[in-house]
Amino acid sequence: MKRWISFLLAFSFLCLAGCGAPTVGDVGTSGQIFAMDTVMNLTLFGERAESALESARTEITRLEQLLSRTREESQISMLNAHAGDGVEISVESDLAGLLAFAKSVHQALPGCFDITIAPVMDAWGFTKDAYRVPGEEELAELLELVNSEDLLVDEQASTARLARSGMELDLGALAKGFAAGRVQAAIQAEGITCAMLDLGGNITALGSKEDGSPWRVAVKNPQDTGTYVGVLSLTDATASTSGGYERYFEEDGVRYHHIIDPKTGAPAQSGLLSVSVISPDPLLADALSTALFVAGEEEALDYWRQSEDFELVLCTQDNRVVVTQGLEESFRFDGEELGYTYEIARR
Amino acid sequence: MPASLGRLTRCAVLTALALALSVAEGLVPLTVIFPLPGLRLGLANLVTVYALCRLSGREALLILAARCLLGSLVGGNLTALAFSLTGGLLALGVMAAALRLPGTSLFGVSIAGAAAHNTGQILAALAVLQTQAPLVYLPPLLLCSLVTGAVTGGISTLLVRRVPAAPFERKSL
Amino acid sequence: MRLPAAERRRPGPGDGIIAALVIAAAVVLLLLLRPASGDVLTATVLLDGAQVGQYDLSGVEQSFLLPLEGTAYPVVIELQPGRVRVAESGCPSQDCVHTGWADSPGEQIICLPNRLVISLSGTDHPDFDAVTG
Repeated sequence: MKRWISFLLAFSFLCLAGCGAPTVGDVGTSGQIFAMDTVMNLTLFGERAESALESARTEITRLEQLLSRTREESQISMLNAHAGDGVEISVESDLAGLLAFAKSVHQALPGCFDITIAPVMDAWGFTKDAYRVPGEEELAELLELVNSEDLLVDEQASTARLARSGMELDLGALAKGFAAGRVQAAIQAEGITCAMLDLGGNITALGSKEDGSPWRVAVKNPQDTGTYVGVLSLTDATASTSGGYERYFEEDGVRYHHIIDPKTGAPAQSGLLSVSVISPDPLLADALSTALFVAGEEEALDYWRQSEDFELVLCTQDNRVVVTQGLEESFRFDGEELGYTYEIARR
Repeated sequence: MPASLGRLTRCAVLTALALALSVAEGLVPLTVIFPLPGLRLGLANLVTVYALCRLSGREALLILAARCLLGSLVGGNLTALAFSLTGGLLALGVMAAALRLPGTSLFGVSIAGAAAHNTGQILAALAVLQTQAPLVYLPPLLLCSLVTGAVTGGISTLLVRRVPAAPFERKSL
Repeated sequence: MRLPAAERRRPGPGDGIIAALVIAAAVVLLLLLRPASGDVLTATVLLDGAQVGQYDLSGVEQSFLLPLEGTAYPVVIELQPGRVRVAESGCPSQDCVHTGWADSPGEQIICLPNRLVISLSGTDHPDFDAVTG
C-alpha cells in the first residue's frame, strides 16, 4: 500500500511538472526581458532558439551597461561626467558608430533630433519620473547646452567627448533600435532566420512566419491604445512608433508628453499623434520615428520623398491616417470605425 | 478550576502554534516554486489534526476560529479572514468525518483536509469575485493537495504519536 | 473516544480511496471546465515574470477592484466584463494607468516600476502577431 501511495504521489508530481513546463514547438521560444526602461518580448523559432535567446539576453545586458545614463559605470555616463574637460573617452567601436549615426540624423533633420537634449529632459522630469513644467528662462538656459555639433566623435580612434561642460547625452531615442539591430545580428549568428523581436513596441520581424506568410504587426490607435488603426504585413523589417500618448503627465489641465522638440525645449507640437517608421534598418526606424514626430507631417513626407530606405504610417491630430506609397499593398487600414480617414502619400 | 485552566492553556498554546506556523509558511510561499494562487503546505492544519485526535472537536473548532481571527488581525484583512475561515471550517468538518473511517490513516485524513481547504478557499473566491474564474484553479489545487496532504499527514502521524495528551494533563479530564 | 485513524501508523485502504476520490474530483472538474465556446478572454498577471493571477474576463459579471500583492508600489487593477485596466498605481510614471482599458487578445498593460505585465489572451486569435506603438 505504501508503495502504491508513493507511486501515486510520483505520478501527480509528474502531472504538475508538465503543467509548468515552457511550451516549445510551433509557438516558438519566448523570453521576456526588463531592460532599457522597457519590456522586451522575444519570440524565436528554430532548433537553436534556446541558446540564441541566451545570446540575445547577454547582448541586451551588455548594451544596457554601455548605453544607460543611470548606471555610473556606463560609457555614456563617462562621456557625460567628462563633458567639457577635454578628455577623449574611449568607447566601444559600435557605440562610436552609434554616436556618429545620431549626429548624421541631427544633420539630416536639423532641429528635429538631438541626443544632447538630456539636460532639458531632466528639467521636465521625464528621466527621473518627477514631472514639472520648467520656466521659460530655465529652458532657454538649458537649450544653450543642446547641440549635437558639440558632440565630437572620432570613429577611427573609437573615442568621443562632449565639448562643453553641462552637456549630457541621452540615447533614449535610438537605444531600442540599436539594441534590436544588435540582437538581430546575435541571433542570426546562431542560425535563427525566423523571429519576432518586440522591444517595447519597436517590432523587428526577422524573416517571415514559419508558414511563409509575413508577420502581421498592428499599429496602435494613439487616441485609444486598445484599438488599432491598421495592420502591417512585414518580412525582414522593423516597425518603430513614436507618439506622445504613452508617456506624459498633466498639469493644470495641460498634457505634456515626453518627446521634446530640440528647437523649443518643450513637448513637440507638430500636429501628429504618432509616427510609425518601417525600415529594414531597426536603428534608422527608431531614430526617424522620433525625429519625424517632431518634424511634423509635411517635413516628414518631404524627407520620405528624398529617401529610399523607409516607409511611414502617420496618425494626425485631425484624424487622418497617412500611409506612404510603398506600404499600399502591405497595410490594411482598420481605422474607419475609429473616425479616421485614410490617405496614401505618393512620391 | 485546574481542569478548565488546563484546557484554556492548551488551547492557547495550540492557537499560538497554529498562528506561528501559518505566519512561518507565509514567509516561504510554495507559490515561488509553483505559481498557483492559493497553493500552500497547510502547516496550520497540523494543529487542527492534532486537536481533533488528542483533544476534542469542540476545542479544534475553537482553536481554528481563534487562529483565523488573529491571523487576519496580524497580517491580513477581512477578505483573508473569509478565505481562511471557509477553508479551515470545511477542512475541519471533512477531517473529523475522515478520522472515523475504518482503514484510514492520518495520511488520508490530511489529504482530505487539504483538498477540503482548497475547495473552501475557491468557494470563498467564487463568492468574493462573483465569477466562475477561480474554479479553474481547483483541479490543479486538488492534485497538489495530494502532495501537501501527504506531507502534513506524515508530520501529523509523528506529532500525534510522539506528543500524547500527557503534557496537557489529559488525566484530569 | 478512540479514533482508529489517529493510532494507525501506515496508510490503509481508506487513504487510497480518499486519494482516488480527490483525483476523480479534479478530473471531473477539469472536464467540466474545458472552455466551451471560442469567446474566452483571459487576463494573465505577471509580476517580475512570474504569474501571480489569471482571470477570465468573459466570466466577470460586474466591475471588480483587485489590489495586487507584492508590488513595489501599490497597484489596483479593475476587472470588468471583457476588459481590464490598472485603476490606481502608486508608481511615479503612471504609464500603466494612462494605458487605459485592455479588451482584446494580444493586448498588454505594463507597469515598469512594478515589473508588472497584464496580458490578454483568448481563444479568439488576434489577426496580428505584435503591436507597434
